[in-house]
Order: sequence, then structure tokens, then C-alpha cells
Amino acid sequence: MKRFGDLILAVLTRGAAACVVLMLAVLLGVLLLNAAPSVRQFGAKFLVSSQWRPNEVERPVRDAAGKLVFADGEVVTETIPPAFGALPVMYGTAMTSIIALLFAVPLSLGSALFIVRVAPGLRIAGPVSFLVEFLASIPSIAYGIWGLFVLAPFLREYVEPWMARVLGAIPGLGWSVSERIVSGGEVIVKPIPLTGRDLLCGGLILGIMILPIITAVSRDVLRTVPRGQIEGTVALGATWWQSCVGMLKYSRSGLFGAVMLGLARAAGETMAVVMVIGNNNQIVPSPFAPAQTMSSLLANEFAEASTGLHSSALLQVAMVLLVMSLVFNVVARKLVVGKGGRTAASA
Amino acid sequence: MSVIGATSLSGKRGGESRFALRRIRSSGMFWACCASTMAVITLLFLVAGYLFVLGLPGISWALFTQDATGDPEAPGGLRHAIVGTLVLIALSGVVGVPVGLLAGVYLSEYSREGRGVPARATRFVSDVLAGVPSIVTGILGYELLVVPMGHYNGWAGALALAFIMVPIVARTTEEMLRLVPDSFRAGSLALGATRSQTILRVVAPAATGSLVTGVMLAIARVAGETAPLLFTALGNRALTWDPSQPFPSLTKQVFDYVTGPYESQKRVGWAGILVLIAILLVLNVSVRIVAARAVRSRT
Repeated sequence: MKRFGDLILAVLTRGAAACVVLMLAVLLGVLLLNAAPSVRQFGAKFLVSSQWRPNEVERPVRDAAGKLVFADGEVVTETIPPAFGALPVMYGTAMTSIIALLFAVPLSLGSALFIVRVAPGLRIAGPVSFLVEFLASIPSIAYGIWGLFVLAPFLREYVEPWMARVLGAIPGLGWSVSERIVSGGEVIVKPIPLTGRDLLCGGLILGIMILPIITAVSRDVLRTVPRGQIEGTVALGATWWQSCVGMLKYSRSGLFGAVMLGLARAAGETMAVVMVIGNNNQIVPSPFAPAQTMSSLLANEFAEASTGLHSSALLQVAMVLLVMSLVFNVVARKLVVGKGGRTAASA
Repeated sequence: MSVIGATSLSGKRGGESRFALRRIRSSGMFWACCASTMAVITLLFLVAGYLFVLGLPGISWALFTQDATGDPEAPGGLRHAIVGTLVLIALSGVVGVPVGLLAGVYLSEYSREGRGVPARATRFVSDVLAGVPSIVTGILGYELLVVPMGHYNGWAGALALAFIMVPIVARTTEEMLRLVPDSFRAGSLALGATRSQTILRVVAPAATGSLVTGVMLAIARVAGETAPLLFTALGNRALTWDPSQPFPSLTKQVFDYVTGPYESQKRVGWAGILVLIAILLVLNVSVRIVAARAVRSRT
């Protein structure tokens, strides 16, 4: 009878483990199945096309000279079928993530070094760590609200006009503050209106959001550097910073993992971004242009997708997003695990 | 380590002028590290402080006792949304916590050191699941439960949240059980206990505190999620206990109010976000306390 309990627990735990594997299978299966029509229609072109037209468009036909074509006294129109391509949202996700990393990585590594090398002497390592963890426990929608009501107006009023003036004055960087509009065969170049709800704001909000995760993981990684390593460099006459560089070099793969975890978080984040990115499905190579990320596109359009092809295309975007963040996560965990990284769950 | 820092900072000055440059650079970087920490903490106070100032005027007793009215003149409270979030957490926890705990037990007790394909697959998959963007779990809930039922409902929201919970609970459970020394297991088995008795009466009790930590972490994570609920639970202005209907949640209600047009509803939304942050803060602080106590009792 005693063995009966063994049997039950063994079956239950194996069942739960199988259930976990099954969950991923279901997730991939459902996404693939529903994305299939779009995959079949657009194939790999989906990843390089920047068209995103959920509805049919009727537009007048123009001849080679850009003139309207008339037949029987009426303008001849042509119907363009819906088309979907993920390039603009992939661009949006990539750019916001890059801005987020540029903002977060230096600050995080600096803070992690402070917590490991400076704070213990001042007896404030605990409080500083606690504050960082608190920053991590603020839900993403709260960051979105803060971004919408504080960061975006602040950027619009104070930061962006100044940045635009500086960037515009540098020869060769004019593209970063103006956009080209093709209208009726003409190309108009005009400065981008500064709204504060754009790539820059989305990237900065993501950067603030991933600060705590990168700081906490790098702190744990740096703490595993053997004391002898640090003392050795100091004994050889290294300055404080030179011994820090030694620490950073020693734990570089773990630190890279920390950054990748932050990147995965940034790329997959929805709520904070959707409120500040401007939600415009376009590629304009300027930090002041409103844009769209993969996750914000899903949040905006998935519920309203009217046609089968539209929602199928959205699911294909979800597939791309899923695969991307899975790669980041798996690589990151490989690098952090066993280097004093925190638990997989809290990371 | 601080001693090292202090020594090299206040080390002998003068003489060796070729070292002056690197000493200047060193102290420059030292202050840069201090400055970046200050910047991070300042950001924290900017974000938390602003949300506090914004939300505080809206905090009232009515917030917890009234439901939404839909009337911009008198927007009512958030009782329905708070109850909704609690029900969603309970529903997802009923499925997610046992599956996560058992999978964690499997990883730690039945497949030591990752031998064998099933163990490695489970561990890899739970890593992978932990990295799924939360909006994608929402889409899964939509396709699995909203499409067949024909309308948005609470079950779909709970399913999406359970998807987020399972890998978190599984991985923390595994790691916490691994911290229990093998001598516990050996002693128990040597006394004639069966494997299940060893796990349930010796190993798990020794790690109870940490297991609770894992579950609370998962709950804290799920309570703050909005994206998985956008296409599943959707939200509801009325208090409901029926998960087959569109279901209210604190995060979604706050999102709707704050992005909506009415100033009065925005006030309620801002107060709601403050309530949410307070709940998450309490959860996270108690996690730290429980975890610290668990570590202390073990050593």
C-alpha cells in the first residue's frame, strides 16, 4: 500500500511535466494553424514587405507621367487587394529595443557595480537593492501611464525641440528630423512634427522598465566574481576602475546574458509601449516619428481584425515575436544560469 | 570589497605623474557609477512619486465599495475590478499552481541533474514558456476559449494567466527543492520511508517557505498583467462571478479609464493604479520576508 503513494506521486509529477511540454506544443500549434493562411499567401515576403493594408483600397490609375487616366469622362480606378508585411513593426520593435538598451545598459551596469563594490562599505547595499526590486515590481501599465502623462509631454516640450535643432544642424543628419512624403508624384520633405509619442519615448519607457532586471541580474553575476580575482588586480596596482574592468571582463558572458534578458523583456512588452509609441505603422528613420511595435500592433488590431486574412497576418506577427523573444530568452538563460544568476522565475 | 575601493580611491597621491591619468579616470568612473545609481533611484521616485500624487486624491472608501457606473458624472468605484482580478488570479492559480509545483517536483526529485530526454525537455520548455511575451498568451486564450464560446469570457483570461504562472512556479519550485540537502532525502529513505513520503513529508516541508515565495512571485507577476486580458476577459463594468461572461479586472479597467476621454474616470483609474502598486508592493515585500526567514532557518 505504501508503494501506491509512490505510484500516484510519480504519475502526477510526470503528468505535470508532460503538461508543461504540451502547453508549448499547443501554443505553437494554435499559432501555426491560425497563421497558416497568411504564411501561405505571403511566405517569406511577409518579413521584408512594408505594406500593411487590412482593407481593399480603390485609387485612381495614373499613367507614366503621373496624370490621372480618364475613360468615358470618368477617372479610371483600380482596386488594390489587402496586403500585409511585418517590416514596419519589426523595425519598430528593433529600434525601441535598441534605444532601451542604449539607455538602460550603462545605467544598470553602473548601478550594479555600485551595489557590489561601493554600497556594502556605506552599508546601503540592502536598501539600494530593495529600491531596484521595487522598481521591478511596478506593473507595466503604470509605466505606460507615467510615460503618457509625464515622459511624452516632457520630451515634446523640452528634449525633442533641442535634439531636433542639434541633429538638424549637423550636416548629413537631416534625415533624422524630417520625413519625405510622396504625394501625387512629388516628393515633399518636411520636418516631423514633435509629438512626444514616438520611437524615442517608447524606447525610453522600455529602457526605464528594463533597468531593474538588468541591474539585479548583473549584480548577482558580479557578486560571483571570486574575491581573489579582485584582490589580485588591486595587489598588482590596479586602480578602483581597473579592478572593476577586471570584474566586468571576468563575468562578461553572464553580463551579456543579463542584457539579453532585458532585451527579451523589452521586445515582448506591450502595455507600456502601446500608450506612448504613437501607433503608426510606418518606417521613418527618425527617433521623433510615431511607430508601431509587433506587440503594440497586436494590442491595437487583434480585437478589431475584420477579415480572416488580417487576423491570420496578425498571428504571423505573433509568431515572429514569439520566436524572437524565445531566442533571446534561451540564449540569456544559458549564459546566466550557473553564474549566480537569480532564479529563472524572478529573472 | 569596499575596503579595496576606499584604498585605491584615497591611495597615495603625488609622485608618479604617469599614474595620475588613470587615477583621474578611476575616480571619474567611480563617480559615474554613483551617479548612475542616483539616476536609477531618482527615476524610481519620479515614477512612483508621480503616480502617488496623481492617484491619492482619488483614493476613497467608495473606491472599494462601489462598482463602475459608466456615468462620467459619477464614475463610481473599482470594487468589481478588484474582485475580478482576485477571481482571475484564483482561477488561474487553481490550475497553474498545482501543475507548476508538480512539474517542479518532477524536475528536482525525479530527474536529478537533467539526465534523460524528458527532464531536459521539460526544463527547456519551462524556460521557453517563461519567455513568451504576455500578449501572445492572450492570443492563445482568444483562439482556444473565446473563438469556440463566441464571446469574450473570464475563463480565457484565467487560461492566459495560468500560462504565465506555470513556468514561474515550476522553475522556482525546482530551484528551491534543490537547495534542500541530499542528506535529508538519504536519511528519510534510510529510515524506510518511501519516495513519496520522503518528498511530501521531508523535502517539501523543509522548503515550504521558499515554495510559498515562488507562488507569491507568480501571483504578483500575474496581478499586474494587462496584455493577456485584452482579447480574453475584455473587462466588464458590472460585478460578476460568472467567468463565462466578459470579466472585469483592475488592470484593464484602469487602462480603459486612463486612456478614455473623461477626467472623472481618469481620477478613478489613477487611484486604481495606486491600489495595484500597493498590492504588488505588499506581495513583494512579504516575499522578501518569507524568503529571508526560509534562508535563515535553513542555515
